[in-house]
Amino acid sequence: MTRMRLTQQEADPLGGITAAPLVAIGAALAFGTSVVLTIVHWDDVVRPLAALLAIGLVGVACLTAARSVAPSRAPFTSERLWLVVALAVAAAVAEYISTIGANTSLYDDFGSIVVGTLILCLAPYCTWIALLLAGVLSAAVLSLLVVGSASEIAVDAPVISLVALNSAAVLALAAAAAGYSYAIVDETLAWQRSANRAALQRDAELRAGIARSVQQSRVSVLGREVLPFLAGVMTADRISVADADRARELAETLRHALKAGIESTWLDELGADLQLAKGMPVVVDDPTGAANDLNDDQRSALTALLVWLADAGRSSELRLELRGDPERNGISIVAAHGSTPPGRRELDRFTAVARAMAMGAEATLTGENVKVELRHVVE
Amino acid sequence: MTLGLPGHLARDSLSRALAHGGHCAAGVCLGIAVAVGVIGATVEGDGAGWTTAALAALLAGILALVARYPTVTLTLVYLVAGTGVVLALTVIVMDPAYGVRSTDNVVLALPRIALILVGGAGIGSVLAITWGALGYGLGEAAAFLGAALMGAMWTPNVAAVTALAMLVLARTFDGLSRRTDARRETGLHRASQHTRELAIRHDYELRATARLHDTALSHLVAIAAAGSGPVDERLRLGIRQDLGLIVGRDWAVDHGASDPAESSRPPATFARPAAGASVTDEPPTLEAAFAAAAHTGLDVRMSGDLAVLGMLGPRRAAALDDAVAQCLVNVARHADVREAEVAIGFSGGEVTVAVMDSGVGFDEDDVPADRIGLRTSIRARIEQEGGTVRVWSTKGVGTTVVLAVPEGGE
Repeated sequence: MTRMRLTQQEADPLGGITAAPLVAIGAALAFGTSVVLTIVHWDDVVRPLAALLAIGLVGVACLTAARSVAPSRAPFTSERLWLVVALAVAAAVAEYISTIGANTSLYDDFGSIVVGTLILCLAPYCTWIALLLAGVLSAAVLSLLVVGSASEIAVDAPVISLVALNSAAVLALAAAAAGYSYAIVDETLAWQRSANRAALQRDAELRAGIARSVQQSRVSVLGREVLPFLAGVMTADRISVADADRARELAETLRHALKAGIESTWLDELGADLQLAKGMPVVVDDPTGAANDLNDDQRSALTALLVWLADAGRSSELRLELRGDPERNGISIVAAHGSTPPGRRELDRFTAVARAMAMGAEATLTGENVKVELRHVVE
Repeated sequence: MTLGLPGHLARDSLSRALAHGGHCAAGVCLGIAVAVGVIGATVEGDGAGWTTAALAALLAGILALVARYPTVTLTLVYLVAGTGVVLALTVIVMDPAYGVRSTDNVVLALPRIALILVGGAGIGSVLAITWGALGYGLGEAAAFLGAALMGAMWTPNVAAVTALAMLVLARTFDGLSRRTDARRETGLHRASQHTRELAIRHDYELRATARLHDTALSHLVAIAAAGSGPVDERLRLGIRQDLGLIVGRDWAVDHGASDPAESSRPPATFARPAAGASVTDEPPTLEAAFAAAAHTGLDVRMSGDLAVLGMLGPRRAAALDDAVAQCLVNVARHADVREAEVAIGFSGGEVTVAVMDSGVGFDEDDVPADRIGLRTSIRARIEQEGGTVRVWSTKGVGTTVVLAVPEGGE
């Protein structure tokens, strides 16, 4: 994916989640600005109802922005940006209508600054192209309003200058948003490239150690029964009936062991690791090997959630059930509460990360356990 | 892909990204100032417009330098030059001829905001707020001086104050939010590493399983099938070789240049091309497959050019060789024929090997779930190399297995 199509929310999900409160603060300030500036230029207002409607629309835009970035509603989609911008621009139009014929100064109009502030707030959730486009299109609409009220402006200046000056706030703020979005995605991708290079080098070192541990585990299984038997046959003159029966029996045992090995997935390995490290029951029910359908990022998100749930006494038992479906897979996680059960906000952080990784995620926190339902489309 | 930014890099990255956003906004402000100056000069014939445009363009040039090289010297040069520009523009704009009432106006706000969004040298919220506050203070002082020179009314610029407030808010929030340590707590970066380790472990488990299937299991089946009687010398030799391979060797590491143990192995039943072969120019062959056929007494007719295997990396060629060997073992064991045909070719970027027999055939659905030869020794091996396996079999007619792997590989 190129940086043109990536948002901070996708490249650095935690950065996106962390920025959510700032959107609420920015939205509140934008709303406050609209109220204050309406009071400041109340002398210019000839249609109070339109002025109140303008403030109401700003309120709805701000509320939409703040609610739509909540981790529980992640991921933020570009449609939400356009909805917020459309509402804010509608507020600017209502403000214009409220002062038609009496607007002596553009400097105290809130349209441009409110639209720009909301675009800036949403920078972590949108691509730089979308942010820039939102700014330019909003500026174009606001410019039409300036042309409409140019004759009333007290200062004698060309209309085109008034258009440029009135657009300054929305364009500057949209540029700040786009610049931030571009830079943070660029920084994140640059780091990811170097991290992936380091990971590849690390993988090479890991391979040697892991190969030996796998070898030891298999050889120990073999060594207990199969190897002595084969060694015995190799040095014997004859094969007895008992030998043949024993060989058949061992072959069946080995087949079943190998079959179980083949059908296990990385998630079974993770479950075994957690069970060993945390001393708690971890049950992975994945009859169709659906865990292998998850991509790398989805695996990381699921691993992070499971490791976190198993850590610090948050859970006393973990049960995972994976349902394989031709088009959409589901993962149910039930974590029985441990000595220090997890909190709702912390849990939302993980579900938001999962959603940023193209998974549907719903978390339920009860007095007894945590239930997380993940869904993903098989690629 | 590795998810997100790690905690130790988040501070620097976010700080640089916020500064970049500020520079973009400052650039737009100065660009509009240039445009307004040019419009004034051209549309209204106001000579001061050219001066305005030139001063704003000069400041934009220094801003570009600060953005590219955020050093203390350049930051100070920008602030000093910006102060001069604000002073000059205040003198121009507050000329009574324009009828502007106070210094709180949108034209003077443009260079003032650009001065606040300097970004500046260094990383972190405190430094960024310090540079921004300095830019605001210098701009306000310059506006005050300019207003005094022109005898005009000085009023703090509300737009500049708003810009400073936004900067302080964003930087303070950034600084505070990083203290909660959500990144470390969530452990995404660690989880990403953990997942890679699990994938590698699973990869080796599969390879080890395939190798186990090829060695110990085939001997056990042979012993069970032989029934009572003298030990077949070929079986004895095969067991000896495979026990030598399993015990004390890195047998889970598939053949390749990094596995010196392989080079000492005799070219017997399940032998792979020696490691030396992969570092010389000799093209890979289907050595293991032909050895398997010889071992099981199967007569193999070969068509196509073996040299196409040279298009594969050593590991991929060896995986294909092993899979073909297992196909031939299956023919010998289950097809009830003594001959098979192997056709090799290259098309569409893939090396393809077809193993055909005119044996009893089978229905894949009827194969017991615990029969794992096709799944591990053939399918898993080929799929690990990004290839595909297709099986056509009809009872009483025969079986064709087509193995295809993409060219290249390790």
